[in-house]
Amino acid sequence: MSIFEGTKGYVASPELMDSVNIAIALKKPLLIKGEPGTGKTMLAESVAEALGKKLIIWNIKSTTKAQDGLYMYDTIQRLYDGQFGEGGVDDIAHYIKLGKLGEAFDSEEQVVLLIDEIDKADLEFPNDLLWELDQMEFYIGETKRTVKAKHRPIVIITSNAEKELPDAFLRRCIFHYIEFPGKELMEEIIKVHFPEVEEHLLNEAMDVFYQIRDIRDIRKKPSTSELIDWINALQIGGIPYGQIKAKLPFIGVVVKKDEDLEQTVHHNFQ
Amino acid sequence: MTLGEWLDLENALDSGLIGGQLSRFYYGARMILVKSETDYDKYDEAFEECFSAVKKDTEIGTEMLRWLDKSDLMQLAEQEARDHLNKMEGEGIIIDKEDVEQKFKQRLKDQDSEHNGGSFWIGTMGKTSFGNTGGNIGGVRVGGATGYQSAFAVIGAKKYRDFRDDRVMTNRQFQLAFRRLRQFSSRLDTPERELDIDKTVDETCNQGGVLKIEMRKPRKNSVKLLLLMDSGGTMIPYSSLLNDLFQAVNKSNHYKEVKCYYFHNCIYSHLYKTPECENGDWVETKWLFRNTDKDYKVIIVGDAAMAPEELYSDTGNYRGPNDGLSGEEWLKSLKRHYKKIVWLNPKMAPGNAPWREAETAVKQMFPMYKLTVSGLDKAMIKLMETR
Repeated sequence: MSIFEGTKGYVASPELMDSVNIAIALKKPLLIKGEPGTGKTMLAESVAEALGKKLIIWNIKSTTKAQDGLYMYDTIQRLYDGQFGEGGVDDIAHYIKLGKLGEAFDSEEQVVLLIDEIDKADLEFPNDLLWELDQMEFYIGETKRTVKAKHRPIVIITSNAEKELPDAFLRRCIFHYIEFPGKELMEEIIKVHFPEVEEHLLNEAMDVFYQIRDIRDIRKKPSTSELIDWINALQIGGIPYGQIKAKLPFIGVVVKKDEDLEQTVHHNFQ
Repeated sequence: MTLGEWLDLENALDSGLIGGQLSRFYYGARMILVKSETDYDKYDEAFEECFSAVKKDTEIGTEMLRWLDKSDLMQLAEQEARDHLNKMEGEGIIIDKEDVEQKFKQRLKDQDSEHNGGSFWIGTMGKTSFGNTGGNIGGVRVGGATGYQSAFAVIGAKKYRDFRDDRVMTNRQFQLAFRRLRQFSSRLDTPERELDIDKTVDETCNQGGVLKIEMRKPRKNSVKLLLLMDSGGTMIPYSSLLNDLFQAVNKSNHYKEVKCYYFHNCIYSHLYKTPECENGDWVETKWLFRNTDKDYKVIIVGDAAMAPEELYSDTGNYRGPNDGLSGEEWLKSLKRHYKKIVWLNPKMAPGNAPWREAETAVKQMFPMYKLTVSGLDKAMIKLMETR
């Protein structure tokens, strides 16, 4: 069995790696929650890359229905074809298009399926997928065909905790909450992106970054990806030593809300 | 937790994925058994209780501990004990400094000499000796670096406490809770009077072009909200909380209508338009009754800490007019007018608190919930109940 141990471009904590391996071993979907910017979506990419498998992404929107992931029956195309006498109208299978979940089931080899931001959809959405995720199969009524997974896909589901997920769904998942990375892990993450980063710039920027996150009443805490952008900007801008705390250059990259900006500018950075 | 999840855990243990190390077991078991970060803190508590019990059974316990975590935890605990002591000496505890320190040292010595394997005493130490001594000192527990060192270091850090859903909430959580009001509202019992275009097209096509009309329930939110907030002196400590609540309601722009008024300690003949509660800048409560129908969902926020005369005397309003009715009677007329009212209280006493007469009286009139994530959730469900 293949074991996930992180990739070059993605730094995973030991417990996160464990969670992936447990999910694979127990053949259960892995539900990942965490603050925005903690690399939930990247995890699936990294797992796919590390295990050498194809990644199928199903992006969930507020209008997504469970059925969309299984298959679509293009009735309108069939009507058109019928009116213009095109060929193949008799064959309903011609108008059945598999969704992302269907695609993952139907694949000839094992794939990694990412169901991204499941909490965006309707409250009932996860419940509608229980059977399919449990049994890894579904039935197409129109063609009387059962699509069954040839190889059980590795399912990774992310959530931003915007909505409560139903208990029945949670019971079937392995759950892991990605904590916001501490300074050590953060340093490692940044060095993956910028191996050449200057030590003092990194330290100073991280100091400011964590202090901003700690300011009381901050509306939107800056996330990892914003810190990475900021360090990039600081490197390009060539900021001299010791100036970051005093002048907060390009701070707009990290702090996005007007109220927060005001608080940050008036904050006394140590 | 269900049997299925428990079997999963056994399965994982069998496969050797989470064995060998207490800390791996801590995370592994958490992934399989606990499905929300709001329960992490409770899990920590249970875990600590379960595994600190192990150490009491000296011989077997020691053996088990050694088997579970070997030297890592020992070293960590020793190091932390040292740090802990140094820190305490450095900071200087204000009350009973000597006493606490002595106790701590004494305990440290006792435990150490009793037997050599008790790597956990420092964890329980924070709880027993210092938990009892006082709230602020109780917070000084075995802290821990993040990462993989020891499960008890993680527990000691108490870092999931903020996720507990019975804690007082933040603005974002408020908004999420108010979203619930919308979610429930789309299930309201209304007639099917909207053309469902997708379904109509589907059905028509399926019938080979013979038109078949499909209707559905309108998905519009019909919830109307009336927010009444106490802005009295005893509520000042909660002003930022109330501000958050107000912001959250304002940002949830999916309601059909939102009205917001303020009162001081109790509701009387007038409701103020601003939290400053200045006389004159108000509307009559009766005017409000005339201009809002019974379907408005009413949320009253207040600590219900009125003095008895503020509630029962018809001259009890020391800041403004009563219009001949006591506070209690005004509240009753509110209850008569609206179908759904809930009361949110930021400092509610559990159960019936006889020493808080007014709160108990208000509780009997309105369903009262504590102003926390789970409390607000319950209140929202109460508001959406159909009866």
